[in-house]
Amino acid sequence: MAVPIEEPTDETLVARAASGDDSAFEVIVERYQARVFRLACRLTNETDAPDVLQDTFLRVYQHLASFRGESQFRTWLNRIASNTALMHRRAATRRPVEPLDVFLPRFDAEGQHACTPADLQVASRADELLDRQFLAQKARDVIARLPDGYRDAFVLRDLEELSTEDVAQTLGIAPAAVRQRVHRARLMLRGYLGDLAGVKP
Amino acid sequence: MNEIVCASGVELLMDYLDGVLPPELRAALDEHVAGCPRCTAFVASYLATPRIMREATAAALPPDLEESLKVFLSARTGAFRPR
Repeated sequence: MAVPIEEPTDETLVARAASGDDSAFEVIVERYQARVFRLACRLTNETDAPDVLQDTFLRVYQHLASFRGESQFRTWLNRIASNTALMHRRAATRRPVEPLDVFLPRFDAEGQHACTPADLQVASRADELLDRQFLAQKARDVIARLPDGYRDAFVLRDLEELSTEDVAQTLGIAPAAVRQRVHRARLMLRGYLGDLAGVKP
Repeated sequence: MNEIVCASGVELLMDYLDGVLPPELRAALDEHVAGCPRCTAFVASYLATPRIMREATAAALPPDLEESLKVFLSARTGAFRPR
């Protein structure tokens, strides 16, 4: 009968790695490389993501001794990966982008939604209505079109599924500001998905 | 006085979902959405947006990048070296 082998916890691995056990660091890398790469793609692009991935784990290695265990390892890693990605993005020249305000919801003079319920619903079926590859390409493009502050908050909160508090700490802004930015990003992206799936904003 | 129309309801959605909306506004929003087919449809699409974007941007790590990460780290750290 197979006895299940217990996986060491992140905290155990970090403690071992910090005391010089490089094989423990290797396990950490293997455990989190896919996640860090995904985050890097979302905050930068496919060209810069490989560098972000490498720099993140190098920084983790160099700072293992400063991980105090006051936060979860995953939170600490997310913060290093996010900061590394944002540094890479600042280094890159940004091309001017078309604003996404056109996709915000519209209301009539009484404050009622200007679209029909059927049209308002369409965005929620964008993934059924559109080709997968096409949607993936459009999703990458539109995230890059969000204003930086909105993009960072949306990626960390909604795509990486960090708590509002953790996003606030990572970005150095108040939780209320995180909520405001995530909300605006959701509104724009929702309108964008509806437009892609065939509804005029 | 918590009269909610679609436009003001939309502005409260994030706070509602994050659980930071005062109870009386929460109740007023619930009441408006329940009686408004447009807002019911809007909320469904608002909730679906993060999920659709998450799934559409879930990039997989290509095997060659996994390999070059190991090479990179073996040159700069003690890890991924033959022992």
